[in-house]
Amino acid sequence: MSVSRRLETFVAFSAEVTAFTPTEVWGTGLTQRYLDTVDGVVGTAMTDALLNAFDRITTQSAGERTAKLRQTVFGCEQLGPVARAVVKLWYIGTWYALPAAWQERFGPAAQDGTFVPTPDAYVEGLLWSAIGAHPPGAKAQGFGSWQFPPGIPKF
Amino acid sequence: MSILDRRAIMVDPGVLKNSGHYDAIIVGSGVAGAIIANELAQAGKRVLIVEAATETDRSFKGYSSYLQHFYGQADKDNQSPFPVNRNADMPRSGQLRKLDPLEINSTSYIVQSGPYVTDTVYTRAFGGTTIHWEAKTPRMLPQDFQMQTLFGQGKDWPIRYHDLEVDYELAEREIGVSANVEDQQYLDITFRSSYVYPMHGLPLSYLDQRVAAQIDGSEVELYGERYPLRVRPFPQGRNAIPNQKYDGGKGYQPVGAVASHQIDVGGRCQGNTNCVPICPVQAKYHAGKTLAKAFDTGRVDLLSQAVASRVVIDSASGRVTGIETKLYHDPASPDHHTIMITGTLYVLAGNAIETPRLMLASGLRSSSGLMGCNLMDHAYLLNWALMPQICGTMRGTTCTGGIVELRGGAFRRHQATFSVDIHNDGWGWATGSPASDVVELVDAGNKFGADLRQAIIDRVSRQLLLAFMIEVLPSESNRVSVNPSYTDLLGNMRPVVSFTVPDYTLRGAAYARQFAKTVFARLGAEDHTKYDPSDYGFVTYEGEPFAIRGGNHLAGTHVMGTDKATSVVDTNQRCWDHDNLYLVGAGSMPTIGTANVTLTLAAMAFRSARNMIMQLGRLHAPVQT
Repeated sequence: MSVSRRLETFVAFSAEVTAFTPTEVWGTGLTQRYLDTVDGVVGTAMTDALLNAFDRITTQSAGERTAKLRQTVFGCEQLGPVARAVVKLWYIGTWYALPAAWQERFGPAAQDGTFVPTPDAYVEGLLWSAIGAHPPGAKAQGFGSWQFPPGIPKF
Repeated sequence: MSILDRRAIMVDPGVLKNSGHYDAIIVGSGVAGAIIANELAQAGKRVLIVEAATETDRSFKGYSSYLQHFYGQADKDNQSPFPVNRNADMPRSGQLRKLDPLEINSTSYIVQSGPYVTDTVYTRAFGGTTIHWEAKTPRMLPQDFQMQTLFGQGKDWPIRYHDLEVDYELAEREIGVSANVEDQQYLDITFRSSYVYPMHGLPLSYLDQRVAAQIDGSEVELYGERYPLRVRPFPQGRNAIPNQKYDGGKGYQPVGAVASHQIDVGGRCQGNTNCVPICPVQAKYHAGKTLAKAFDTGRVDLLSQAVASRVVIDSASGRVTGIETKLYHDPASPDHHTIMITGTLYVLAGNAIETPRLMLASGLRSSSGLMGCNLMDHAYLLNWALMPQICGTMRGTTCTGGIVELRGGAFRRHQATFSVDIHNDGWGWATGSPASDVVELVDAGNKFGADLRQAIIDRVSRQLLLAFMIEVLPSESNRVSVNPSYTDLLGNMRPVVSFTVPDYTLRGAAYARQFAKTVFARLGAEDHTKYDPSDYGFVTYEGEPFAIRGGNHLAGTHVMGTDKATSVVDTNQRCWDHDNLYLVGAGSMPTIGTANVTLTLAAMAFRSARNMIMQLGRLHAPVQT
């Protein structure tokens, strides 16, 4: 997979598993940083395995993709914990350490641990826009905005 | 407002020696020290502030570095913006664990001597804990000052509400409080006629309104008396819309961010929902705003990275002759040298743990024997639930409204009062939400994609957390002490805290739990509260489990009173034993009721500053600069 194709696949996978659009994912400005984060923790070979597994199902219908993702990615003993870490990374902005059992079996992933890849990661967490709020300490919605019902985006 | 170019001497004892005589040496740059520094300086006095921390946030850039540090921390606890400085260490709740009987845990900065483990914190930074505080600013109730007389519990204050009323107004001006008088006239709180707060109150959150819709007008019964419930806005020390009627129609000018060049932020709260641990725009008051005015006079010097280590006394007169201070050059290294700092008056403005710690480390126990005793802190009991509808949780200031009708009443003969906060930031304090929700939904819930996104909305946007701030009365055995076995990297003795949650408070907690269940029932909210026996704050009362959290409202440890046998300081916060030494802050408070302590300690700082100016006037004519 070429470098650019690799990033595009990572964005497509990220959009699929977060239910945000690829445009919104690109809009965080963190796509390359997060791909580097995953590569840094589990190595490019395992990242490629994750991206290839997703690439193989992209032409299927949405329902089929979800079922296949459960079977071949989230249900995969090796790729599942990595995929879940990627979902958490996008929503929260924190890379959560992989489970100890994963480390024993598929590690060592030397760079693993719970960390925030860059201060922007917290600010760009998808969680906040999902609930019509904002990350505490950033992107404030304005004086008095809190007195009105939240604007929770449809998706 | 420029403060970078104001005179502020750095760690250079040579400069200090040449700087002439100071009318007052103030230890600590928090709100009490800042107000006193500014009041003395405005009266023409020369002041040196001794601050243990670095002065990182004296510039906007420095302040912003705290914010970046906060963003980058995976564990966003309430001290997370503030980097570790082992030379001026501070408590951090992440370091705590439950104690076995008789066990002492000295791995955290505060040595926990138990049996209760407190996760209370304070911030050793320029501006003190106001850099971190939530800025809720209720006044104490008049009845809070007479606990013994009215309810046969705790202590009476040597002064009354009306003695502090004008100083409350000064504190509300200094802090810049936003509230409406009509919302704050409850129980027996009174205001002088025509008084208005500097700024109009902040609006209640949508979550507050959803709670109010179901409970306003309902009642609870306690010991035969009925108490009407209502969601009321809290007074807040953050900028809102100025009230044109303030100060006899002169209005009020909000103070935004303090910086070395023009920065137009902080003039009004933006709703960052991050009052604790740090307001990104400085719409929330912090003592740096008062210090900026003080530095502007040219009569206030700052010595940072200077840790007061010993109060030196002339044994014949009892007067303070100097403060031995350790100067470190680099927060990453314990290398330091020691100097003696001298002035006419001395003011210890640490907090109710650091001030008695310094006194006790200096061998000064007070002839009352009460130095460090009567440690109080509000006991928090958290109750959390899911509302039946989307409430837009995670928006607003940390807290805009709550239920305060049980702050006072005849039941205080039997059990503690409480004030209830409706948290706009969801279950975070109790469970680590919303990050913990996402982790659970992904890892255990096996959700991703649209299922996950919808589940997050359902889980987070309906969260309601009621935090009960429960009164704690003074008890001599709840105390701060020191022990030469426990020192910091500079060789200063660390505080040792011994604390038992009093039964009076636990009776209040037991009722608080019942009260929460009643409120949840009226809301149709799904109660998710549970207290884990392995929690470091776990206690049981009459077989019922509770996890009690610290309130960061430390008080009582150099108690104010009417004579030297039963108190440490007089009504001006001057030590009975040392007539040129003031111990200021919530440590002087005999009781704390259900008021967050900062407003009251700020009011007392104005009172003390007036007395200091009078005392200095008697001692010598003002120094001309």
